[in-house]
Amino acid sequence: MSISRRRFLAWMGGAGAGTAALATGANAGSKHFDGYPGSFGVLHDITHCVGCRSCEEACNKVNELPPPDKPFKDLTVLEQNRRTTPKAHTVVNKYLKPGSEKPVFRKIQCNHCLEPACASACFVRAFQKNKEGAVVYDASVCVGCRYCMVACPFEIPTYEYDKVLAPRVMKCTMCAPRLAEGKLPGCVEACPKEALTFGKRDDLIKIARERIRKFPDRYINHIYGEKEMGGTSWLYLSGVAFKDIGMREDLGVVSAPELTSGALGSVPIIVGLWPVLLTGIYAISQRKDKAALEEKTQAIVEAVAKAKKDAEKKLADALAKAAKDKDAAVKKALADAAKAKKEGA
Amino acid sequence: MIMEEKGKSRLRWGGVLAAITLWLIAAGIGAQGEKPADKSQERPDVLMIDTLKAFGDLEKPRVVFLHDLHTDALEKKGKDCSACHLREDKSGKIPGAENLEDAVKGIDKLSPKFKRLKDTARQDVMDVYHKFCIECHTDMSSAGDKAGPVTCGGCHQKNPVKSSRQEMGLDKSLHFRHIKANDKKCEKCHHEYNEKEKKLVYVKEKEADCRFCHKKETEEKRISMRLASHIACVDCHRQILAKKNPDEKAGPVKCAGCHDLIKQKAIEKVAEVPRLERKQPDTVLVKTSVTEVDSKTYKMPPVAYDHKAHEGYNDTCRVCHHASMDACSKCHTLSGSKDGQFVNLEKSMHLASSNKACIGCHLKKQETQKCAGCHSFITKTKMKETSCKACHVKVPGEPEITPKTDTAPLAKAVLDARQAIITTYPDEDIPEKVVIKDLVKQYEAAEFPHRKVIQTLVKNISENKLAGYFHTDQGMICQGCHHNSPISKKPPKCANCHGKPFDEKSLYAPGMTGAYHQQCMGCHEAMGLKKPAGCTGCHKER
Repeated sequence: MSISRRRFLAWMGGAGAGTAALATGANAGSKHFDGYPGSFGVLHDITHCVGCRSCEEACNKVNELPPPDKPFKDLTVLEQNRRTTPKAHTVVNKYLKPGSEKPVFRKIQCNHCLEPACASACFVRAFQKNKEGAVVYDASVCVGCRYCMVACPFEIPTYEYDKVLAPRVMKCTMCAPRLAEGKLPGCVEACPKEALTFGKRDDLIKIARERIRKFPDRYINHIYGEKEMGGTSWLYLSGVAFKDIGMREDLGVVSAPELTSGALGSVPIIVGLWPVLLTGIYAISQRKDKAALEEKTQAIVEAVAKAKKDAEKKLADALAKAAKDKDAAVKKALADAAKAKKEGA
Repeated sequence: MIMEEKGKSRLRWGGVLAAITLWLIAAGIGAQGEKPADKSQERPDVLMIDTLKAFGDLEKPRVVFLHDLHTDALEKKGKDCSACHLREDKSGKIPGAENLEDAVKGIDKLSPKFKRLKDTARQDVMDVYHKFCIECHTDMSSAGDKAGPVTCGGCHQKNPVKSSRQEMGLDKSLHFRHIKANDKKCEKCHHEYNEKEKKLVYVKEKEADCRFCHKKETEEKRISMRLASHIACVDCHRQILAKKNPDEKAGPVKCAGCHDLIKQKAIEKVAEVPRLERKQPDTVLVKTSVTEVDSKTYKMPPVAYDHKAHEGYNDTCRVCHHASMDACSKCHTLSGSKDGQFVNLEKSMHLASSNKACIGCHLKKQETQKCAGCHSFITKTKMKETSCKACHVKVPGEPEITPKTDTAPLAKAVLDARQAIITTYPDEDIPEKVVIKDLVKQYEAAEFPHRKVIQTLVKNISENKLAGYFHTDQGMICQGCHHNSPISKKPPKCANCHGKPFDEKSLYAPGMTGAYHQQCMGCHEAMGLKKPAGCTGCHKER
């Protein structure tokens, strides 16, 4: 049995229409998100930072993190560039450009992207971007796969490898519980020079632009985080080039979810439609062969049956002939015997 | 048969994999990019020979030529400039004649071109270079000396060594040394082109900067500054040195002598340079009105300018006289003119970003450590209206000023009447110590030695005339910290304006903690103070 041309075309048309209908779902991922209106952020003015580490101390206290190996008053740790650790959501690094005597200090922590790569990579929604602007973590659903650590372009999330039971991914939470109470994040409150300014992200951009306008010799004309990776809630102003203080300038302005939305959006279509389509085509092509095979078997069966019939007929004829011959021979023998007797008597 | 097919397919895939790997390796190597330039290799004598550009596009990269290297090498062989530079006219006079003039006249000018007097045709010029360069190199290397390249790529290098040549110019001190050496004969260097007589003539009291006429590129009847300066300067030095008179000193003839940064800094400086004599004005009245009939009709009083004093404040004249030695207002008219590139008088005087403008230069002076404590916080993008009256002062007596009036004495009268404010309020009115205890939490209250700081700042101003003239009110010095408020004997406290941080209603002002730390630490940093240092430098721990 084979499919008719009309039916085949009908199936193909239906498959195409279905794909087109489902394809619109994939494009929804490429819309640009500018952040929740009224969400908060922090402006870090690197020209004001003196590397006093008060922010590190405050973060440690507010989040009830274990005490550090070296006390916060010890400024010799700045001689080495550090990263965030499971025990430290934020660190301050010192950068010294060769040929310049003045060191530049920068605070590193989660940048609370508007469209976070970590939240996008997490398939159990342990990382979520909330309306206040913070990217918060739910340890109860985390499976410890650490895809978030791979995805983060700033290499911020850390993992409690030392814990055997219930290890967590550790990163700055913008003190979301404190924000909910109307308090300031711990680091912002502690900074004596107000190198960290807290406020609505839109206001912070205004403040940053005004500072650049008033003191063009003091700042590089760029707000880091305004557009990087689709925009972050933590913005930076600096007097030296950002790449000289360990900040990547090659990230581009597209957020991580936007970069992956195309590939991810096509998964449902591919998983849903292609197997069906391909199986159908396979089935159709197989049916043709099957039909041919069936006909062939049928022909063989018929041929065998016919041959059998012929053979039986031949046998029956031969038997009949043999019986006839036997009769004739017996008759002839009897006649011969009678004749012999007649002649002998 | 199936086994054969498998083997073939495997080979094919192996080939594809190998090709991809090789391509990746090549791309990786290519992506490494150029190595960063080695600054220690840079030299001041790098010349890039691209003479053939005049005849069309260059086929090969420009040739890198290290002039001092060659001069030194030829010196070792006992040769001088004439080994490569031809004499312009062959008078054949021998140096060491009767007097200085004859001796100098006797030594002929050398052409700055290599082994030729003129650039005739493309092939000819190319042949000159190829013939003589390669010949000399071949001769030297066959004699066993270190020699230059003889291959095409050896000279036509794609990544030649970078030049560290610094621009050279005369400042007051060096110019004075030249005046002395030439016996005040300005005509030796200064000339201008007379259109009528069609030749170069010397005009007294009209001497000007070479760069006013000699520009970057050679024009139809005017050689470039580069050619002019080398012909005038290097040739003169060479001629003096050729006389081999031990009593006569001359400037350098090698590239590095003028163009190397370290050698430039080592040039002998005259301590007290006497004023240049060119009949320039002592005082100038910069007028702000065209009609100038009645000084009472001025909307804005004219500016009295102390030209003599400013001659002393600057190293060269060309800092301000950037295109001619005339008065600024000749080209920068009130509404702007083509001669002044349509930069009007107001802009030419007030532009904060230009060193040629009055205000631009004054702002630059505020960047010194003694001033930066307050002035690094004051934005330079908008001038305060109170500072206008520091310069725009009414002429005493308010006389009538016509285009014919000699305004120099009027300017002098204004300048004489001017006084520098170098004091502030009396000590009793200045709190001696200010105890900052508003934020006591982690640290004790900070004791700020208020009066001592003010006295130091006043001392800095009293030593600086510019500061004295512009701090037009004795309360102005308080504005360094007590900013954004009117000048007053009792200015507001910091806490009066700086309160809660991150206030939506006052976005641009820091909170109290930030205000104190930014102002205090900012001033200390700008003024280069090593103490107080650290948190406990200002407030003890609790």
